Amino acid sequence: MSDKSTFWQTLLSVLSSFFGVQSERNRERDFREGRPLHYVLTGLLMAAVFVLAVILLVRWALSLAGA
Amino acid sequence: MVRTRIITIGSGLGLTAVSASALAAWEVNLTPGVTDVSRSVFDLHMTIFWICVAIALVVFGVMFWSIFHHRKSRGAQAHHFHENTVVEVIWTIIPIGILVAMAVPATATLVQMYDTSEAELDVQITGYQWKWRYDYLDHDLDFFSNLSTPREQITNEADKQENYLLEVDRHLVLPVDTKIRFLLTSNDVIHSWWVPALAVKKDAIPGFINEAWTVINEPGIYRGQCAELCGKDHGFMPVVIEAVTQDEFQQWLADAREAKAAEAAAAERVWTLDELMQQGEQVYLSACSACHLPNGEGVPGAFPALKGSPIALGDVAAHIDIVLNGKSGTAMQAFRDQLSATELAAVITYERNAWGNSLGEAVSPAQIAQLLEPTTGEAEQ
Repeated sequence: MSDKSTFWQTLLSVLSSFFGVQSERNRERDFREGRPLHYVLTGLLMAAVFVLAVILLVRWALSLAGA
Repeated sequence: MVRTRIITIGSGLGLTAVSASALAAWEVNLTPGVTDVSRSVFDLHMTIFWICVAIALVVFGVMFWSIFHHRKSRGAQAHHFHENTVVEVIWTIIPIGILVAMAVPATATLVQMYDTSEAELDVQITGYQWKWRYDYLDHDLDFFSNLSTPREQITNEADKQENYLLEVDRHLVLPVDTKIRFLLTSNDVIHSWWVPALAVKKDAIPGFINEAWTVINEPGIYRGQCAELCGKDHGFMPVVIEAVTQDEFQQWLADAREAKAAEAAAAERVWTLDELMQQGEQVYLSACSACHLPNGEGVPGAFPALKGSPIALGDVAAHIDIVLNGKSGTAMQAFRDQLSATELAAVITYERNAWGNSLGEAVSPAQIAQLLEPTTGEAEQ
């Protein structure tokens, strides 16, 4: 492992923050190794993905109802 | 004593657990209503209620068991630790699962409630301060529905009757087994048209048209109210629906249209002062007395007195103008679209000859009809 967070670790930490639960071990690792900009960008990306997912979910529910 | 009380409460809880109908009989629960949508709303409500009961039993059960089991007298020692990611994940995932499980049937009901397509009857509902106007769009019929509870009951000068503040002069008559679309809007402020038995509650917003629909399964009288604080008489603009069979509805439509034509014809004939005074008093009590009071004395500082007022005793043209067109910047509404020519003439005559105002002159319905002429038929914007 390098001494910088991988994209995968950043993504998982952002998703944990969306979920609301993160382990102390990961939190310490993120603050030791992570770059703030990476989290901000990943966070924005995930927010967009979340909004898109809600839109698709609503469309799917409406198509099921035949509207 | 305490024990008997506990037993009483315990058996009370047992009773409610037995059936939802017991709750309904006790009149503390939501009513199932008389439409398919209102029944599915009721079912949703009960489902979610029992989910809440189950969660409460589990959560409080574990909590009380823990308190009891780990009590100090048994030598329980607190286990000191900080954070447990697994437990935190579990107690986050379980509520998400429960919420999603509740959202599925709730979404199905919501989609059903919003499907206003293929309605067989359109009724436009317009909120006014403080009354509703119903407009049967395809049947050339519209009327206002005013509170009919006598003012003496409101001011505690008479005993309150059944359906106090839940009765109107003209019911919204609707046919059963027919898909009816409601188009809701408002003439002044935001109102909300709410009839629990139909599970319809929709805001009436000036400048917007909201849609709702219903199919009433059973004939009957269903009552509702304005559900959005809309000013002084917010609690005095009830909704009364009279659901009738298809045949009765057609008959009612024909009768109502005939009455409307007779009303228009009545404006043409000559009315005596007494006739006008008699009708004027009725119109005054339903349309004017909320603000100007039945004795014409108004509310100082808020609503001007008509008794001895310069307008009611002055130039008749100015008096007619303020009643027909209202006064901007005040609560005085324009009544030209709300009352018929005869009603307007009668109420103006009444105001000029009641409570000691005694001009002795009558304003004729024909005279008012002439003034209404240019805008007749295009009352709406």
